[in-house]
Amino acid sequence: MRRSPKGSALFVFGVAALLIATACSSNNGSSSSSSPSGAVKKGGTYRSATSSFGFVGDFDPVGEYTAVGFSYYQMLLRTLLNYTGQAGAAGLVPHPDLATDMGTVSPDGLTYTYHLKSGIKFGPPINREITSSDIKYAFERIDSSSLVAQYAFYYDGVIQGMQQHSGPPKNISGIDTPDPQTIVFHLTTPTSDFPARLTLAATAPVPQEVAKCFTKPSGGYGNDIVSSGPYMIQGADQMDPSSCSTIKPMSGYDPTSHLILVRNPNWDQSTDNLRKAYVNGLNMSIDSNVDDIFNKISSGSLDGSFYEIPPPTVLQKYSTDSSLKPYLHVDPQNTTYYISMNLLVPPFDDIHVRKAVNWIIDKSAIQKAWGGPSTGTIAGHIMPPSMADLGADYNPYGTPGNQGDLAKAEAEMKQSKYDPGKTGKCTASVCSGIILLNRNEPPWTDAEAGIVADLAKIGINVKAREMESGAAYQTIDTVKSGAQVGISMNPRWGADYGDPNTFAQPLFSSDSLIPVGTSNYSMVGMTSSMAKKFGVSYPAGGVPSADSQINACLPKTGQDRTTCFQGVDKYLMEDVVPWVPMFWANQVTITSPTVTNWAFDQFTGFIALQNIAVSNTATP
Amino acid sequence: MRQDQSIRSDRVEVEPGEAPAGQSSIGKTPWQLFWRRFKKDKVALVGGVVIIALIVIAILAPLIAKMVGHGPNELFDSATNEFGLPVGPSAKFWFGADRSGRDVFVRTIYGARTSLAVAFLATGIATLIGVTLGLIAGYLAGSVDMVISRIIDVVLSLPLLLFALGISAACSVSKNGCLHGLVQPGLRLVVFIIALFTWPYLARIVRGQVLSLREREFIEASHSMGAGEWRIMFADILPNLAAPIIVYTTLIIPSNILFEAALSFLGVGIPQTTPSWGRMLSDASNSQMFTYAWWMMLFPGLFLLITTLAFNLVGDGLRDALDPRSRR
Repeated sequence: MRRSPKGSALFVFGVAALLIATACSSNNGSSSSSSPSGAVKKGGTYRSATSSFGFVGDFDPVGEYTAVGFSYYQMLLRTLLNYTGQAGAAGLVPHPDLATDMGTVSPDGLTYTYHLKSGIKFGPPINREITSSDIKYAFERIDSSSLVAQYAFYYDGVIQGMQQHSGPPKNISGIDTPDPQTIVFHLTTPTSDFPARLTLAATAPVPQEVAKCFTKPSGGYGNDIVSSGPYMIQGADQMDPSSCSTIKPMSGYDPTSHLILVRNPNWDQSTDNLRKAYVNGLNMSIDSNVDDIFNKISSGSLDGSFYEIPPPTVLQKYSTDSSLKPYLHVDPQNTTYYISMNLLVPPFDDIHVRKAVNWIIDKSAIQKAWGGPSTGTIAGHIMPPSMADLGADYNPYGTPGNQGDLAKAEAEMKQSKYDPGKTGKCTASVCSGIILLNRNEPPWTDAEAGIVADLAKIGINVKAREMESGAAYQTIDTVKSGAQVGISMNPRWGADYGDPNTFAQPLFSSDSLIPVGTSNYSMVGMTSSMAKKFGVSYPAGGVPSADSQINACLPKTGQDRTTCFQGVDKYLMEDVVPWVPMFWANQVTITSPTVTNWAFDQFTGFIALQNIAVSNTATP
Repeated sequence: MRQDQSIRSDRVEVEPGEAPAGQSSIGKTPWQLFWRRFKKDKVALVGGVVIIALIVIAILAPLIAKMVGHGPNELFDSATNEFGLPVGPSAKFWFGADRSGRDVFVRTIYGARTSLAVAFLATGIATLIGVTLGLIAGYLAGSVDMVISRIIDVVLSLPLLLFALGISAACSVSKNGCLHGLVQPGLRLVVFIIALFTWPYLARIVRGQVLSLREREFIEASHSMGAGEWRIMFADILPNLAAPIIVYTTLIIPSNILFEAALSFLGVGIPQTTPSWGRMLSDASNSQMFTYAWWMMLFPGLFLLITTLAFNLVGDGLRDALDPRSRR
């Protein structure tokens, strides 16, 4: 998710009932007048536009690691297990999809066995039944390093025999396919969230006869995805799979202009109880002018928005006009927007400075920059309410109105070695000229002035650097260049699936500290020997680690696991303090009256394209 | 003064009808002649007054901000509504507020500082480089001229905006910027980029002028009296170039102000917390904010327009007054 420039992350676990209530306030019933007697009508096309696809894996499911990509895959691909495409906690519980049931686990927790439903076929032009070896082949693709499977870490080292190698996909010893309907996974270590990992699109069945032709993501399988779900890319039936040289990109997908999906004639509703597939298709075009997108929705030439954050003017219009309010859909995404402090960079190597920063930041101003309360809930701690809910009451740096508290910040700063005169300000020379990294787009730029001013109140004088979001991520995900940046407000993080560990290990474990491509931007758990290896300087006072706390939770299951990760969140907030959590984002979607059945997919954090219905008669 | 003699040697001609009838044309210095002509150009004079006013405003910006009671980066919670939309012009915020809740009036005033500082600094550096290299190329000619002229060709053929974007992206990545800290992100980088792309224009003009000047008799005379090459270049030729240099420098300033605005508009270089007209215009166009908050675009836009117009008018006036032969 982290690399996703726009689409944030995926989902979560156990969304608080309260949040669900707010989330649903604007949906289902609101447009029932156009769907008489509660029956939702099939047909029509969901016409939408997006400022860019923002794909980070060229739309090849093996490596595509954006929530927006996952949204399209919910229409195109089926996995062993998947989700119901609804809002709230229920939307994060895996259900059997290609599998007949939730599978069987051996008593030692090391062997998972799944049986496939019979009669499920690939879409055109393959048209044959999906077998367990097609799923195994998807795993083999994950390990072919040239295909760049960005979340391979969920499988490598977990399934026996899985590790990255150069060269084409090859057999994996830990996955057995005793017959075409059965697949058995042998794990190296008990992994209680393993079933959730089988919901991710990289594990969807892939027909070898097409995919073998593609050895790298660019210009590859993303242009010729063979459907297993209710929809396929337009023109899929025109593709000639007889040999690699005859395979041409399908006409319905052009990364620079459009994605058009139409019904897959081989999909059978009776085998799929997760997807309603009301619409006949999807027409997603690229329109770099976000304002134009919302104008077109308002005029009815588009049916709704996708991931774009509505500009504040649009938000105000739809929030205050009661006739428009039914078309404003606000759903908690369970993504955390945060400020990351680099624990290697003075003065942020001192926990008192980090705590003082937590006290001083005016989070309500940040929320306003994003467009007000509908865009998110102010975050009191790291994990969103749905991951491992510590509750709204737990807010160790809570201030009245969330506007920051200078007195408390100064009291904390006085304990710092960078305030030898006990003035309440950071007075050492390292407190000036610190680089603050930001994105160069609104609303990030709108929030920058407030953060810079807040930091100056406690003597921390920063130089703001603004970069395009991808470049900003690359700067801090490379340990060496990240060490130039003291504090960054560009990142956000969303969980990959409904387990709190997706909010712990990737972000705060020393395991995830790699020279390039780390997501532990705060460098939590860095040791002096690692620092030497990476070529960065190491603070005399050392760097706190959360490894033992996180590792203790990994074998746990159920409520124990949740409680354990709540403890990790607390420990991070009070004893490590790597972040200033800003807010937990909502996805705000605007639809036109043509959308007669609204649905939100908690898994992707966006509109559930597989479950919405429209009243238009447009063809894809 | 040396300039007087040199210029006289080159181009002082009393225009027919310029000296009032019945008065013998007493020797007037070229500067007196220039001032007489310039004074008559009311439009240019107005431009000059505007520029002086802007400079005064820029210098007094902190004082003005103090009188208003708002800092350029001070945020006012009351200046935005619950959706983060800014309030319009009022008694408290004369030019309204921006998305972050800052006073647009105070930022516009401070923006004059950025625009003028960048314009003068960048133009100054560009003039220094351009004139020096142009002189050397034109006077020494031969292979030196070829090398410098080719460098000019290369720089002029670079895709200016793309290159500027590239440099600022590259120099923004590391803490110390480029060239061992000489080029730092922010104001310095913008000045560097603008100077880099402006000097060749001046160098070309100077080179052309020098090529014709170096064949003149007074240069030969200087030579025969044993003057060194550097002395001839800088003491004999340079003063004769005062007029074109002044005119072109004045005309380059407004284009550099616009260049700075363009760079800031594109979001490279100057950070959000440094008030700049270009940056303010870009903030106003983000999310089409101007459709709601017209004041975010109008005021910085107006100041930008007035400033560039004033410099252009003065530049034209200077050209007419310094070089009457070129009058259109």
